[in-house]
Amino acid sequence: MKIIVAIKQVPDRDAPVRIDAAGKWIEESDLQFTMNEPDAYALEEALRLKEAHGGEVIVLSAGPERVGATIREALAKGADRAIHISAEDLGTRDALGVAKLLAEAVKSEFGPESPDLILTGLQSEDLGLGQTGVILAELLNLPHASLILHVEKTDSGLKVKRELEAGWFQEIELPTPAVLTIQSGGNKLRYATLMGIKKAKTKEMRVAAAEQLSSKTPPTAVLEKIALPSKQRSTQILPGTPKEAAAALVEKLKFEVRVL
Amino acid sequence: MIALHATLAEPQHFSAPEKTIFLALILASVALFFQRFGPVLKKILQSKKDPGFTLTPIGRRTWDFFSEVLCQSKVIRQRPLPGLAHAFVFWSFLAFALVTLNHCAVGFGIGFLHPKGQGISGLFSRFYFYLAAAFAITCAISITGLFIRRFFLRPKWFGKEVSYESGLIAFLIFALMVTYLAAFFITDASPYAHVLWWLHTLTLLAFLPVIPHTKHLHLVLSPVTVFLSRGKFSDIPPLVGDEDFGLVAGQDLTQIVSLQAYSCVECGRCTEHCPAANTGKALNPKEIILGVRAYLNEIGPATEEPLLGKHNSQEAVFQCTTCGACEFQCPVGIEHLPIIVGLRRGAVNTGAWENDYGSKLFNQLERGSNALGIGAVERDKFNQKESLPIFDGTQEYCLWLGCMGAYDPKGREIVSSFARVMNYLGTSYGVLKKEKCTGDPVRRLGNDLVFQQLAEANLETLAQNKVKKIVSICPHCVRTIQEDWKAYGTPPEIEHHSEFMARHIDKLPQAQDKEKIVFHDPCYLGRYRNVYDEPRQLVQISGTLVEAPRHRERSFCCGAGGGLAFLGEESGERVSHVRAKELIETGATTIGTACPFCNTMFRDALAASETPAPQLLDIAQLVARSLPVDNKA
Ligand code: SF4
Ligand code: SF4
Repeated sequence: MKIIVAIKQVPDRDAPVRIDAAGKWIEESDLQFTMNEPDAYALEEALRLKEAHGGEVIVLSAGPERVGATIREALAKGADRAIHISAEDLGTRDALGVAKLLAEAVKSEFGPESPDLILTGLQSEDLGLGQTGVILAELLNLPHASLILHVEKTDSGLKVKRELEAGWFQEIELPTPAVLTIQSGGNKLRYATLMGIKKAKTKEMRVAAAEQLSSKTPPTAVLEKIALPSKQRSTQILPGTPKEAAAALVEKLKFEVRVL
Repeated sequence: MIALHATLAEPQHFSAPEKTIFLALILASVALFFQRFGPVLKKILQSKKDPGFTLTPIGRRTWDFFSEVLCQSKVIRQRPLPGLAHAFVFWSFLAFALVTLNHCAVGFGIGFLHPKGQGISGLFSRFYFYLAAAFAITCAISITGLFIRRFFLRPKWFGKEVSYESGLIAFLIFALMVTYLAAFFITDASPYAHVLWWLHTLTLLAFLPVIPHTKHLHLVLSPVTVFLSRGKFSDIPPLVGDEDFGLVAGQDLTQIVSLQAYSCVECGRCTEHCPAANTGKALNPKEIILGVRAYLNEIGPATEEPLLGKHNSQEAVFQCTTCGACEFQCPVGIEHLPIIVGLRRGAVNTGAWENDYGSKLFNQLERGSNALGIGAVERDKFNQKESLPIFDGTQEYCLWLGCMGAYDPKGREIVSSFARVMNYLGTSYGVLKKEKCTGDPVRRLGNDLVFQQLAEANLETLAQNKVKKIVSICPHCVRTIQEDWKAYGTPPEIEHHSEFMARHIDKLPQAQDKEKIVFHDPCYLGRYRNVYDEPRQLVQISGTLVEAPRHRERSFCCGAGGGLAFLGEESGERVSHVRAKELIETGATTIGTACPFCNTMFRDALAASETPAPQLLDIAQLVARSLPVDNKA
């Protein structure tokens, strides 16, 4: 199986997010970056499929030079090689623009035949659009399914488990090649090892310039302004004996918050 | 009739055939010795050279040799009665060196001690023989005692199997002493003189080959092991080159590791004190060492066969709390921690260790900042809530919070109590805007990749902030920053809050209420850092100190160390419950700790205890209790 995993580098969750002077993007200078979590799960799924059925896992990631660190991490965890779409202006491209870059990179790598499977995270932790993978499938004219927790290879193609609302799951079958967007939490993530990092140094990492892949089309959606969420605190103190308070709490959790 | 004579009988006139037989026997005995010792030596020498090993500081090595080998300090201190018995056997051996040399020389007619001689030489000879006789008597008594202990009292850490070789050795030593002493009861002319000489000789020649074939190999190796030991406690060697991932296969065993593996005398002291072995886990530190030895015997160094498998199990290796009791106890200088952590490194650095909790911890520390997996904003909130000043380079101390101090509710209480003490003392301090885990759990679990990332990131932050002195409430942070980070830079000076507060003890108020407080020595403060008295001084101004049966360097682990606090449910009995029970049974109304990990372990153990549980407080909380409410001196 040839599997492509598209990975995005996002700001670290603990990083202090500040808005830049123009008010249109975040200040990147003092941020730390890491692998988008759903993409980490996509990579994990790909590595498991490779371990079970053999083949090759190719990592695909777009962004400036710093993306290299995340690509190396993926290589260290077991991906075989990588394609880095070098692009300084990712922030000004919308999901369609990014998906076009990815699609072109896939085409340039494989020509007319496509890889058996393309996996990517369901959404990114920074923008959370949840679009890129799906658009990529459309651009490549491949079947796709989203919110996938588990992938199984069958004789005719794939059997996948999708997450629905409220603890429901759906199992569907689809042919290969296909594009799947992966939900976090379906597997346990493996850790990067010292040996993996050392091996990663010798693995192939091809750099492809964004400009050469696809000409830039004006974005269909433009970011006007970003803002930090305003702090809202609504602490409620439930009065009464512990028993009464507990009963009131259950009531609220059930009907107001709806988590029970 | 048997009578005691003033001098030792020495048979005269050995015939030529007798001499020939004697020579042949010596050669046979020596050959049998080397038949086994040769291969052992070869395996040790074939092992990998120890990276970074130097003979310096020679003074420290000489002192260790003098104290631990010649004076048998550790042997005696940690097991006084049997230790003393062993020491007498050892000292007798030393005293007998000259006697034995002379004994053999006599067989060839060239004896150099002359019990009946004139002048100085005669005087010295007689003195020496009496001295040896005195040793022989104590040695015979001691070995009998040890024999009774091993075969009749049978302490449980000797294991279930009866060691017949120990019996044989005891018999040979006893026979050597008796055949020596008996010579005082006959004269040179006695027909028994020859018989006795031959009996002593045969015992001696039988003894020699037994040494390398049994655990008595330690007679030869352990003095070298003690002299060559790394010396520092839990000294984890650096990884060198691109192919070094820790102890993965035989080719990674270093000469010191192999030497240590062959030196083990199977005394079981390590196991006796091991929290894992005492709570029904697979881990037994003695078996780890013997596992490495068996591997060397069967497979040998310089091979690619994995070390974890037949001879040592991964399960056992990952049950170690790195409490260091084993390494501390070992009388022959075996350093268990570099071996156990080395085996873990081998498994983790190559990805062979698969553990859901472990992977989660590693991923958390790779991506996030702390071992608890909580967002760093929570730390900021805590700092604000407690109004902890931010370190800006002007303050004297950087107060290092650590994961527990910044995120754990109990750890936070300790930090705020200690901050009150520092405020009361008027010490200037500040906390860093951001801090990452020191890497203690990943260091002990053998993840060099994450450990290096954390150490480097933290060292950079400290350097940027121009931190000169650190104080921390966590002994794990203290140890890791001070010793383990050295592999990646120069950490600032650091001390534990117990040391800081003890230094200012004169300025701290005394508690009125003298309740009984039992102090639990954290492994990383005690055995790792040798700090035993400072926290006790603080307990003493806060109440009446009572000691648990196992305390100071024999303290029993809480079960959290070695990354185990993050690895989920233990098999067997919980270490923390065993220790908590011991602390409760002292009758103290408060348990004093000095480590946030011990604190969290005991918190859970006490909650599960059926007897009414004592209070649980850190020494900072104990001290802060007596401070005036408005915190002014
Ligand atoms: S360090 Fe402690 S837990 Fe680990 S083997 Fe030694 S005594 Fe046992
Ligand atoms: S490792 Fe040391 S303490 Fe343990 S059995 Fe061997 S000699 Fe004794």
